[in-house]
Amino acid sequence: MQRFRRIVAAIALAATATTTVAACGGGDSEDDSGAKTLKLWHYESENSAMGVGWNRAIEIFKAEHPGVEVRFERKAFEQIQQNAGMIINSSEGPDIMEYNKGNATAGLLSSQGLLTDLSAEADKRGWAGKLSPSLQTTARYSDKGVMGSGNWFGVPNYGEYVTVYYNKDLFQQNGVKVPTSMAEMTAAMDTFVGKGVTPLGMAGAEYPAGQLFYQLALSRADRQFVDNYQLYKNPVDFKADPLKYGADTFAEWVRKGYIAKDSASLKAEDMGTAFIGGKVPMIVSGSWWYGRFKAEMKANWDTFLFPGNTLQAGSSGNLWVVPENSKAKSLAYDFIDITLRPEIQDLIGNNGGVPVAGDPAKISDPKDRKLIEDFNAVSKQDGLAFYPDWPVPGYYDVLVGGFQGLINGSKSPDQVLDTIAKPYADGVKEITGK
Amino acid sequence: MAVIITEAPAPARRPVRDRHHRGVSRWVVLTLVTLGALVMLVPFAFMLLNAFKSPGDYSSSGPLSWPTEFYTKGLRTYWTEVNFPLKLWNSALIAGSVAVLGVAVSLLNAYALGIGRVRGRLWIVGLFLLANMLPQEALIYPLYYVAKEIGLYNTQLSVIIIFTVIQSAFGTYLLASVMGTFPRSLLEAAALDGAGKWTVLWRVVFPNLRPTLAVLLIFFFIWTWNEFLIPLVMLIDNQTQTIPVALASLQGDRLMDAPTTNAGALISLVPAILFFLIFQRTLARGITAGAEK
Repeated sequence: MQRFRRIVAAIALAATATTTVAACGGGDSEDDSGAKTLKLWHYESENSAMGVGWNRAIEIFKAEHPGVEVRFERKAFEQIQQNAGMIINSSEGPDIMEYNKGNATAGLLSSQGLLTDLSAEADKRGWAGKLSPSLQTTARYSDKGVMGSGNWFGVPNYGEYVTVYYNKDLFQQNGVKVPTSMAEMTAAMDTFVGKGVTPLGMAGAEYPAGQLFYQLALSRADRQFVDNYQLYKNPVDFKADPLKYGADTFAEWVRKGYIAKDSASLKAEDMGTAFIGGKVPMIVSGSWWYGRFKAEMKANWDTFLFPGNTLQAGSSGNLWVVPENSKAKSLAYDFIDITLRPEIQDLIGNNGGVPVAGDPAKISDPKDRKLIEDFNAVSKQDGLAFYPDWPVPGYYDVLVGGFQGLINGSKSPDQVLDTIAKPYADGVKEITGK
Repeated sequence: MAVIITEAPAPARRPVRDRHHRGVSRWVVLTLVTLGALVMLVPFAFMLLNAFKSPGDYSSSGPLSWPTEFYTKGLRTYWTEVNFPLKLWNSALIAGSVAVLGVAVSLLNAYALGIGRVRGRLWIVGLFLLANMLPQEALIYPLYYVAKEIGLYNTQLSVIIIFTVIQSAFGTYLLASVMGTFPRSLLEAAALDGAGKWTVLWRVVFPNLRPTLAVLLIFFFIWTWNEFLIPLVMLIDNQTQTIPVALASLQGDRLMDAPTTNAGALISLVPAILFFLIFQRTLARGITAGAEK
């Protein structure tokens, strides 16, 4: 992944050069009512919740549009991640595709004029009514490509959020009850430590450490903080709560043995397989693991929301976007509309995904239902707080480096906050020009 | 009238000694080579082990355990999901064309530089090397832009042209220095016999360089086969993609499917290994060619 990240940076730089070229291109492709093909790309695997749901959506689309050929191609995530700008700036691109949400991806392309403004369709077809405000945040981008306000450039189909996965068997063996508050959570972890079990799986070399830090910080935060941190509404003080609380508590958890010191170099994959193998009783991570645990884990397990938080790390999933060069825009809108129908949304939910407009009553598996109800609860109270690495480009590596130091004890919480404060400030300055 | 430089008659041979009397150093070397070979094989062993493991098995017992069942679904999934035969054909077409064209271009370039001795050849060779040394990330945007302007974006021809140039840059450098040491007397003799430049190249230089060219051909093929970034950027349709790009499609955003990736890597490696085994004799001959001069 490391290698690719460098490449991504290089290409993003190069892609900004396309801005001027792209600006001349748009605006002349409105007359596409007679389009007879829909070129559709996404990068979800065939058996995943989204893969299943969208396959069905394609079938429905074909039934409702006789004579229209759907040319679907499953792409590599890597390829879209790196080349989307170049691909949709050419005439070879798709008419509709799945794309990553966020400022550095959908935001960047929208600000370069490469994506179609979907606002009119969102109003006309009632998409806005189906998505809660914190889900809409990642669908709308300002003219500078900053999410949260402005026109619609993408439509999410599914959500994701960070939650706690726990191994029921290990909880039972050690006489631990599912915690409902932070105090109960630490008590539960103390019990495990007392029995010589490291309670929390961790992966210092990838996103989990940053997300746990963010979760801890969010327990002391309000929506204003999220707006400041993610949408640059006001400057963020890293040496004050909630971020200071997050780093201090993280360090305390390491000191008390809740998190293993040698997890500093582990990858998310290691953390996931440790949980599947029953080596750790809990992990704090995202709903993207859900389908895999369900398919591969033999022990009993379930999820509970990070106790005590009203804000949770999470967001909408990836977006459907319509490139400005799309030759079948109205067909693309029809397809998006189909994917938001209850039938498809429930199908996503019944396959272990988190639909954005799903009805929990229609979900048959109780564990699936719990996942979706939890998400709906968070989403309804405007509790999706996005991810800690989103605000500035390249921040992911900064966070990983910082929290590795905290896990292996080579840095104090204060030093870590210093390390991550400067790149944040520099990055925000670059984006907002202030 | 092909002229082949014959090896100078070997000097009087040293008396052949019994191979068992060369001391312990022989065995030390043998042990080290064996160990080295084993270390090189370890990653392949892991790949093989995990290619036949079910995802659940992999997740619960880790990459080192012995598979509990002989699981081939990963292989089959990869084969059908990425339409492997098509990708194989694409890769073979691109790598094969690049290998042949790259060698041809290298030979012509190097003939001008090494034997023709054009003015400023050192700088020219340096310039060629630059093409090879530049990171591909720096080249990618200009290449994309040009390809798009001339309508070659998303065609295999664009990738073939790009790699022919990149590979022949290295080929030119190598062949130019090899030809620099080509015996002048042979060239002069050919000229006296009335051979033109083209005849000299075709009848004198080419036959003598054949082993070296064969090695270049194989290297170009394997290097191009393994290329990732430029095909990833240039070939956006699933119909035109190569094997390494197909392999990348198994890696998701936040999740990976290690057994299927291993299975895919295994299938994808087989053609390159077969190719190597078939041409391995040529390779060994080419590398040692000239070693006795």
